[in-house]
Amino acid sequence: MTTEMTRRDFIKATTLTGGGLLVTFYLAGCGPATPTTTTGPRTTPAATGPGAAVTPDPGDPSATIRPNLFVLIDGSGGITVTASRSEMGQGVHTAIAMIVAEELDAEWDQVRIVRAPADRALGDQVTGGSASISSMYDRLRRAGAAARQVLIDAAARTWAVEPDACRTEPGIVVHPDGELRLTYGQLVSAGIPDEDIRVNRVEPWKDPAQFRIIGTPMPLRDAPDHVRGATLYTNDLTLPGMRYAAIARCPTFGGRVLGYDRAAALAVPGVTDVAEVDGGVAVVADHTWAALQGREALAAVWDLGSLAGVTSEEIRQGLVDSTPAVGTDSISASYDIPYLAHAALEPMCAVADVRSDRCEVWAPSQDAQGFQTAVQQITRLPREAVVIHIPPIGGKFGRGLYVDAVPEAVLLSLQLGAPVKLMWTRDDDMRHDRYHAMSRYQATAPASGLEVPRVREILATSPIPTGSWRSVRNHPTAFARESLIDELAVARGMDPLRLRLDIVGVEARRVIELAAAESGWGDPLPTGWGRGIAYHATFGVTHVAEIAEVSVDGGRIRVHRVVCAIDCGTVVNPDTVRAQMEGGIVFGLTAALKDGITVSDGAVVQSNFDDYRLLPFDEMPEVEVHIVPSSARPTGVGEMGVPPIAPAVANAVFDATGVRLRSLPLRL
Amino acid sequence: MPSVRLNINGEDQVVDAPAGMPLLWVLRDFLGLTGTKYGCGIGVCGSCTVHVAGRAVRSCSIAVEKVTGPVTTIEGLSANGDHPVQLAWLAENVSQCGYCQPGQVMTAAALLAAHPRPDDAAIDAAMSGVLCRCGTYQRIRLAIQRAADRP
Ligand code: FES
Ligand code: FES
Repeated sequence: MTTEMTRRDFIKATTLTGGGLLVTFYLAGCGPATPTTTTGPRTTPAATGPGAAVTPDPGDPSATIRPNLFVLIDGSGGITVTASRSEMGQGVHTAIAMIVAEELDAEWDQVRIVRAPADRALGDQVTGGSASISSMYDRLRRAGAAARQVLIDAAARTWAVEPDACRTEPGIVVHPDGELRLTYGQLVSAGIPDEDIRVNRVEPWKDPAQFRIIGTPMPLRDAPDHVRGATLYTNDLTLPGMRYAAIARCPTFGGRVLGYDRAAALAVPGVTDVAEVDGGVAVVADHTWAALQGREALAAVWDLGSLAGVTSEEIRQGLVDSTPAVGTDSISASYDIPYLAHAALEPMCAVADVRSDRCEVWAPSQDAQGFQTAVQQITRLPREAVVIHIPPIGGKFGRGLYVDAVPEAVLLSLQLGAPVKLMWTRDDDMRHDRYHAMSRYQATAPASGLEVPRVREILATSPIPTGSWRSVRNHPTAFARESLIDELAVARGMDPLRLRLDIVGVEARRVIELAAAESGWGDPLPTGWGRGIAYHATFGVTHVAEIAEVSVDGGRIRVHRVVCAIDCGTVVNPDTVRAQMEGGIVFGLTAALKDGITVSDGAVVQSNFDDYRLLPFDEMPEVEVHIVPSSARPTGVGEMGVPPIAPAVANAVFDATGVRLRSLPLRL
Repeated sequence: MPSVRLNINGEDQVVDAPAGMPLLWVLRDFLGLTGTKYGCGIGVCGSCTVHVAGRAVRSCSIAVEKVTGPVTTIEGLSANGDHPVQLAWLAENVSQCGYCQPGQVMTAAALLAAHPRPDDAAIDAAMSGVLCRCGTYQRIRLAIQRAADRP
């Protein structure tokens, strides 16, 4: 289970252990944590012989050491790893803990994960660009290795031997004689003075050949709570005296309220307040349902503002092809994608508790420190008085980079003088997203020669907000480039696999060949079926090839099988890599096959999952994921499954029907 | 406010709830059973699925006074999280963000209670209305098959 200590836990922990170290540091806002310890006087630990029972460790769990920001070790041998990026299903917390535990030589079962609130001392906390692990890999390894060195040094002092002659086994330091051993818990229980914890000397990092945690499939730590319904997402939190709010929003962006029936809303049992907020009218109540009923009762009337009358068709007219600066020996085509919603199952929400001297916020954020800045600007409180907690997130796919719901909740809490839970309804979430931009991507390549097509992005001026959506430009870029490569292959009378192998680099070739071999490229398919391939390096770092097998029946496209090959450097958690590829493929299939977002009279038309459809269970293809073994640095996996799937399917549809589809969603 | 008698996870409860209030909000806001999730509020995502008299029901779309049988929520599916469906979910590492999973688990548990050995078509029919944006469907199918194979 991943936890974050709450105020209540803090009181509990303080009462129970007199320690509460972690919490003191985070919640009292003492600024950057310094290595510290709560151990008592130093004593000599009793050595344990080989084979002696080391679990449960007979230690003192209230004794702790914190060798660095990421690691806390207690006297029972428990290891607490601080996860500074947001967990939203992509497995980053488990991966962070795995890397630290590997270098610390910890027993995996002894590792506990705590979620960090916003804290500049932890460095960048933006969870985006699939970069959490690639950007933190060295720092986390060093954190684990340094903690291990503290324990080795403590044991060596106890035994009066050279630290370098000692080694570790999981959770244990072993004497040079190979007989005597001290568990990490025993060492911490015995007390390690502050000055011995500030170790700068870090042993050489583990040889990757010795890895026993990194590279091993590990279940996500939160999964047992997920299946018991025990995970507390933002919207599941309750604070004493908390109010429930819902906001009636102008259907257009930039409109304003003209009138509403305050009395009718207040007449709904349970509704206590009605307040105008930016872009709408908030109804505050004793519980969610009353807030929603009160919102209905407002019957708000809107001035739609300058967007009234705008349609997506009109916006699309702004997508004008430029004339490619190429001669007649070039081939060029344009590929279109519509607006797309993030549509995470957990809608936007926030809980805010603003006091005169401090403010706490809970929100599904991918940018803890950015949210902290935003709240600080509203409340004018000092940074350390603004605590941003990130509960487990119900998927966000980029949506969590935008603060939106938080200022609303903060302002309401400020106004009411009480904690507020603001839930966006599905309708709010769908119609007030920051959408993947409607765009056109023009791909161009010489008709002959071995060149990868160049791709230009053509954007219309978008009157509706746009933002980062899982894989951002990589999704349309791959659709354009990989479709055009297929068109080139057709023009040249070549096998599209062959052409790709001729024009790509070595890493690309490896995943393309692997996917081709595993899929049985060239093997006969049933009549009416087609096979298509696409390759993309999302953010230029992770190489993914996907091969789709589809059938087309009366205009209905059905994807039966997808074979995916990925090279993401060193694999921290192979099961996460597979899960992210499976999930990315489903996300990309929704974009390839289901209708996007449209605008009519200045407002988003779609409002729920009945008109913004996600790929359902019975359209799930069989997905196989093959991982290229690699000892290169880890690159990233969260978004990388998405981009190749739309072009792979479009190319397969061409293979099946001879019809080239150049806009998404694919419609015959 | 009318009083409504309910049996939730084996316990009799009386709640004062406005007429028409969906069971979902009674569970979440009055009884603190937050495992049941809001996803759409109109019966199309399945995140809010509970059992009423053993059948999968979307709690966002049933008014609390219309509930006629005992209710089981994800918290009451098993004493220790060890229902065969929950165990199968863990064995197949189904979950990603986890938000849809209580609804997935409750829907699958109701399916297996009614059809202990469902074929693929029966699994499709039961599960296709329960959405997962993280895309865990392949593993959900494997987990249901695993749970169905348990003697
Ligand atoms: S919340 Fe009930 S079906 Fe979606
Ligand atoms: S696991 Fe995230 S929505 Fe299903």
